[in-house]
Amino acid sequence: MATLEHAGSVPLGPRRAEDSVRRLPVLAWIAGWWLAGRAVIVLTVIAVHRFGPSGWIRHVAHAHALGPLEAWDGRWYRTVADSGYLLVPGRQSDPAFFPLFPALLRAGHALGLGYATAGLVIANVGFLVALVAFYALTHALFGESMARRATAYLAVFPFGYAFSMMYPESIVLALIALATLAALRMRWGWAAGCAAAAALARPEGLFVALPLAVLAWQQRHALSPRARGLALGAVLAPVAAIGSFSLYLGTVLGDPMAWSQAQRAWGRAFSPFGVVHAFEGLGRAFAHDAWVARDVVAVVVYLVLLAAAARAGVTWPWLLSGLVIVVLPLFSGSFDSVGRFGLLAPAAFWGLAALGRDPRAHRLILGLSLPLLAVAIVTLPLHFP
Amino acid sequence: MKARGVTLGVAGAVVAAVLGAGWLVQRTALPAPARATLAAVRAATWLQRYRLVDSTFSIGGGPVMHGQCLQDWFQTGGRRNRGAALRLDDGFILLAVQPHTLVSRGGSTAERSLSPLVLMELGGCPRVLARRLDTVAQQHRGVTLANNALTFALKATRVTLTLDPGTGKPLALRVVTRDTEGTSHIRFATVTTRVRQLLSRELPVYGS
Repeated sequence: MATLEHAGSVPLGPRRAEDSVRRLPVLAWIAGWWLAGRAVIVLTVIAVHRFGPSGWIRHVAHAHALGPLEAWDGRWYRTVADSGYLLVPGRQSDPAFFPLFPALLRAGHALGLGYATAGLVIANVGFLVALVAFYALTHALFGESMARRATAYLAVFPFGYAFSMMYPESIVLALIALATLAALRMRWGWAAGCAAAAALARPEGLFVALPLAVLAWQQRHALSPRARGLALGAVLAPVAAIGSFSLYLGTVLGDPMAWSQAQRAWGRAFSPFGVVHAFEGLGRAFAHDAWVARDVVAVVVYLVLLAAAARAGVTWPWLLSGLVIVVLPLFSGSFDSVGRFGLLAPAAFWGLAALGRDPRAHRLILGLSLPLLAVAIVTLPLHFP
Repeated sequence: MKARGVTLGVAGAVVAAVLGAGWLVQRTALPAPARATLAAVRAATWLQRYRLVDSTFSIGGGPVMHGQCLQDWFQTGGRRNRGAALRLDDGFILLAVQPHTLVSRGGSTAERSLSPLVLMELGGCPRVLARRLDTVAQQHRGVTLANNALTFALKATRVTLTLDPGTGKPLALRVVTRDTEGTSHIRFATVTTRVRQLLSRELPVYGS
């Protein structure tokens, strides 16, 4: 069966056209899963809008049926798109939110869409692109059956409601998958562009540099000096992209590290003993807000999935980047939002797909994911993702 | 050797291109914050840097008064809370402590009849002004900048804060309400033990 993984590697002409036709069923299958997951989310959000709970999100976030999907960080991305960055020392402020998503919101707004509409369209269409790219990447690395399972699980993963919110996660996942897919095909210019864009959208995008670095090293003998330069550039591109954000903040706010300062006001001050503090403060955090249990469960789930991925033969750069994405936030002394951050670790979904090789496990994963996805949406007004 | 040079050159060019293109995309796609908003944050930063402000003000063309406003922790109702104490030269003291303590002592009947908020504003009480400036800045509305003067609303008052053109440091205030109007010149000062002792001795509740 021809798959998306063959895209770009076939010669021009009738065969390519034929392959495009044969790819259509795969695309339709991915779109079907995307539609299924998003339908659960949209229907549950409409129910939440109609019947509550109203929770902490502002009244305005309940103003229309899909309002809850714009809540929490969505408000901050919208503010950046509308008014630009502003660092208010000692207060939670918006330089903590990376610039690509607000720039896309602004582009959507320039096309005549409202910020909320633009945000939801970009996030959800971005997730469809992410699923296609993730399928192609997984197929290239592990073959058809793993690709199908991993893609289906990703489409309905309980924490994956963030992919439908006014958040950049779907775009980042798409860019991470596209960057490594391009690198696998030795298209290092594209890899550099996608990796840079991923890091401009979320700091986790930085960690795509790990698999890129290993791919560049593996391909070093097959590449010309110029291509080797492109590959090295692609590995460094995420760091350069974050550098460009600093440069921009330096020019508009006079503080290149405003994003790091703002992170501190959001309770994300990294320290070598942060992870110890995170565990030490767990009892206190639980007494203050029991929702921390959700994020602790998320950490455990992701670690189990990464272990399953390791057993299934996923290579160390992917495992390490996944581990960093899941564990590094704990060094800020908090478990907050790890459920969402872990969505950007493809290795976790490969681990889940490895567990789903067993037909009973496969049925169990899908059978649990859809209801949990709906439950997760119901909690949206009560706690940030 | 030449091959390595080509590799490093291309890699350097990619990094430079990402840096430049990334900056350009942000510069083109995102709006820069308004000057008034940035000036408000800058003024708020000055106000938060100091806990003591000396002021010289007059209300409604009345006599010139000198005041000192101290932001500190105060013991009220058995708990320590943040607040502000404004002391005028004639012995009038006004204490405002979160969440619900507002008491005054001494001074003339006329002083006691003035709005405590207007007195705190004209006395340059730093946190009162800073908190409002931060809020209007974050909302990106409700603050204007003209001739180095920020204008914003604080409850029922309209405040115009004159800033130093070079540093953005607040220098003077004009407060307008429906009934009255006042102007003030302020100067940031350093809190000393003597100032704290002087104020706490005269306070209607215990100072920190």
